[in-house]
Amino acid sequence: MATSAGSWKGLERMSVEQLKAVKEQGDLEVNLLQESLSNIRTATTRLEIASSALNDLSLRPQGNQILVPLTASLYVPATLHDSQHVLVDVGTGYFIQKTMPQGKHYCDRKINLLKSNFDQLLEVASKKKNVADEAGVILQAKLKQLESSS
Amino acid sequence: MASSSSESAVSERRGIPGAQFVEDVQTYLTQSGLDVGSALAFLQERLQQYKVVEMKLLAQQRDLQAKIPDIEKCLDVVATLKAKKGTGEELIADFEVSEGIYSRARIEETNSVCLWLGANVMLEYSLEEATGLLQKNLDNARASLEVLIADLQFLRDQVTITQVTIARVYNWDVHQRRVQQAVATTAQD
Repeated sequence: MATSAGSWKGLERMSVEQLKAVKEQGDLEVNLLQESLSNIRTATTRLEIASSALNDLSLRPQGNQILVPLTASLYVPATLHDSQHVLVDVGTGYFIQKTMPQGKHYCDRKINLLKSNFDQLLEVASKKKNVADEAGVILQAKLKQLESSS
Repeated sequence: MASSSSESAVSERRGIPGAQFVEDVQTYLTQSGLDVGSALAFLQERLQQYKVVEMKLLAQQRDLQAKIPDIEKCLDVVATLKAKKGTGEELIADFEVSEGIYSRARIEETNSVCLWLGANVMLEYSLEEATGLLQKNLDNARASLEVLIADLQFLRDQVTITQVTIARVYNWDVHQRRVQQAVATTAQD
């Protein structure tokens, strides 16, 4: 609360132009953070889907008949060649062969990392939003004051 | 110079109205029965309509340009399966289970493939039927793309003509005002 009061006093000392700049900057940063949060949410959903797909695949016995997607719209009947291992795309064109439990563990680790990042960003975003809102309130008050004095 | 616009211009193409090239602004305004403000407003509106149609056509073009490589890829896969058909050799393929996760499958000699047609419909075709259907789809997509490119070219020409017409009408109006101003000045003198 003390820091909030301090920032409020700091904002009150600023001129109208400075307050406008602070508010604009704050809004811009909040928008960027919201975009990042949205991207993290999407990535988390993708990894959760991957984790559940791995879980489903591990339950299928080797030699089980499945339809394999060879392109986005072409499927052929095939049998599962190796139900114990999967290839995991770790980015920049690298693929690592992992066992099913390792694959699941990799997905879970990634999900946890993204969730912790999400929480941190959410905290930062809410702080930035508060500062921008405070600047907006003070700006409105100052503009009213200027109007009444003129 | 008697005619207000060139008669050789295409009147329309696939629902896109052709733009008149105005040779003589005075005659054009007289024939259309519009004043300068109304003529400019009409031309600006027409320009906006062209822009909207262009956006739609560009979206269709993007869709087709994404679709064609996919169909070609499907044809390549079917051709590979056909080639492997008599050999008794099995095909090992890594397929995407989910985004970023791949598994390995063994494709034994197969006589059919399943094609996803959209709208939650998938049909099983023999390799020959699949090749025929995909080839037909590819030809149709390429033909559509050619027509679309021609439409876009036509549309861009109409946009250019309309923009030139707007500029000419506006400049003519400025010129007329200057003439009137000059006449008024000389009359005062």
